[in-house]
Amino acid sequence: MLRFTFFRLLQAIPVLFLVATVTFFMIHAAPGGPFDAERAVPPEVLKHLNQRYHLDDPLWKQYFDYMGNLLQGDFGPSFKYPTHTVNDLIAAGFPATIELSFYAILFALLVGLPAGIIAALKRNTLQDYLPMSAAMIGICMPTFVLGPILLLIFGIWLGWLPVAGWGQIAGDKILPSITLGSVYAAYIARISRGGMLEVLSQDYIRTAKAKGLHATRIIFVHALRGGITPVVSFLGPAIAGLLAGSFVVESIFQIPGLGRFYVMAAFNRDYTMILGLTIFFAFLIVLFNLLADILLVWLNPRVRQNLAGGR
Amino acid sequence: MSNISTENSLQKFEKGTSLTRDAIARLFKNKMAMAGLFVLLFMVAISLFTPWIAPYSYEEQNLDLGASAPSAAHWLGTDTLGRDQLTRIMYGSRISLMVGFIATAVALTIGVLWGAIAGYLGGRVDAVMMRIVDALYALPFTIFIILLTVIFGSSMLLLFLAIGAVEWLTMARIVRGQVISIKRQEFVEAAVSMGLSPWRIISRHLIPNVLGPVIVYTTLTIPSVILLESFLSFLGLGIQPPASSWGSLISGGVETMEEYPWLLIFPGLVLTVTLFSLNFLGDGLRDALDPRASKD
Repeated sequence: MLRFTFFRLLQAIPVLFLVATVTFFMIHAAPGGPFDAERAVPPEVLKHLNQRYHLDDPLWKQYFDYMGNLLQGDFGPSFKYPTHTVNDLIAAGFPATIELSFYAILFALLVGLPAGIIAALKRNTLQDYLPMSAAMIGICMPTFVLGPILLLIFGIWLGWLPVAGWGQIAGDKILPSITLGSVYAAYIARISRGGMLEVLSQDYIRTAKAKGLHATRIIFVHALRGGITPVVSFLGPAIAGLLAGSFVVESIFQIPGLGRFYVMAAFNRDYTMILGLTIFFAFLIVLFNLLADILLVWLNPRVRQNLAGGR
Repeated sequence: MSNISTENSLQKFEKGTSLTRDAIARLFKNKMAMAGLFVLLFMVAISLFTPWIAPYSYEEQNLDLGASAPSAAHWLGTDTLGRDQLTRIMYGSRISLMVGFIATAVALTIGVLWGAIAGYLGGRVDAVMMRIVDALYALPFTIFIILLTVIFGSSMLLLFLAIGAVEWLTMARIVRGQVISIKRQEFVEAAVSMGLSPWRIISRHLIPNVLGPVIVYTTLTIPSVILLESFLSFLGLGIQPPASSWGSLISGGVETMEEYPWLLIFPGLVLTVTLFSLNFLGDGLRDALDPRASKD
């Protein structure tokens, strides 16, 4: 277990290094400097700016300086907000994003898991078809269609919930979390249904039934552990999707999170901000994939053997 | 998929039918998949003939009219500049579907070749190629595409390439798995013993035999590509005005949804219905082409 964790950590380092390097050189290959604004900057000011941000250094020196600072957790200054560093902006946006993602996943699990399990137990009945049709709609309806429509219905027409903000008015976290979580609720319902169906046909479940165990005990003690493993392996990659979804949801509901900062930085061409956030996102994704993998091995020791034995 | 050729000949002999014909028959029986196929063909036909059948011209503004609710003259209403929304959605579907098909073709080409080469050659080549796929999987790709559009500007060509470059990974994995499962069979050995080049074996013997899963996965890739393009356009980083795709129409609709909800609802509906049809068609194809991989 420890060995596995250690090796997965070792694998994560080159990936992060690669992301940082590729992003750094891509940003520096971009046509136009970071200070190309609509109003031309006087040459002296430009020179001063370049000096201040070490942009007149040779590229390799800038790269090593940046990577050195990065190792110390310093993402450098923001070009568009000279009074802020990228670290400041990450610190400002991260809590909202992580809270939003947490609620979204929570919603997805609370809705998706029971729906999937019930559908598997009541296979080919209305209790199977209804949630599975809903799941299909959930998967096909994009976040940026679902969000505005929920906003229109519950925020504007019915007036039940606030239309924007984060943590300012009671209930303003509900719509964004549901919007972001519904796709995952749909996937989790489908995946847990599939997982449960597979487990329920196994011999050891038949043995448990033959032993005369109570149905509840069979489902919760014997079947569930194996049945939800596919859900756990889905959760790791889902984090990447959650971050992308948070771009849209944070824009629609005007939440001051990382996703909104990233889209704003993309519009403003705030290169250091984009660079820093890209690396930070990569770090998050790698971290959560790692956690999901560890959880997976903990749930199912057989997976460990597969990993050790190569693919 | 493992013993396609033997099953094929047996069935021909006994029942006078082929595996392909069986699959088509199964697909035809699947009502949801057929409905999906019809909706899709309808969309494609509309977008192909848009310049001739659109009720208004794309730029035609009617500022006196402004945003008007759906009416006999404008079936889906007009936007704030008085442009006919039906026309705009029709032109938008040209772009959305084109991005969907071309970017999927890019992903298909890279993914199939990569997977087939890795699977056939095996050993160290395979290990290196698949580690690259694993590493790319770990990257935040949506973010990467946004990065590309920021740096190089958002041209259509870049969108095709960037989206295609993201979506090939799963295809490569699927094809590799399939190739590994068939490469030890007699017909491949026969091809090797005839002295065919690895390239010819891959292109003529292996790839045709893994077409089933490839077709299925391609059908499922198109909706995710369309979704990705709409996502970028929604954020304002994809298709740039004056051109518009479904995503940018939805984005425009969100801005004025309080006063003119139809500007949000209709493009959103068209996009959702298209994604729905493609997913149903993909599921139907999977059930038809690979009866063993049942729905659950």
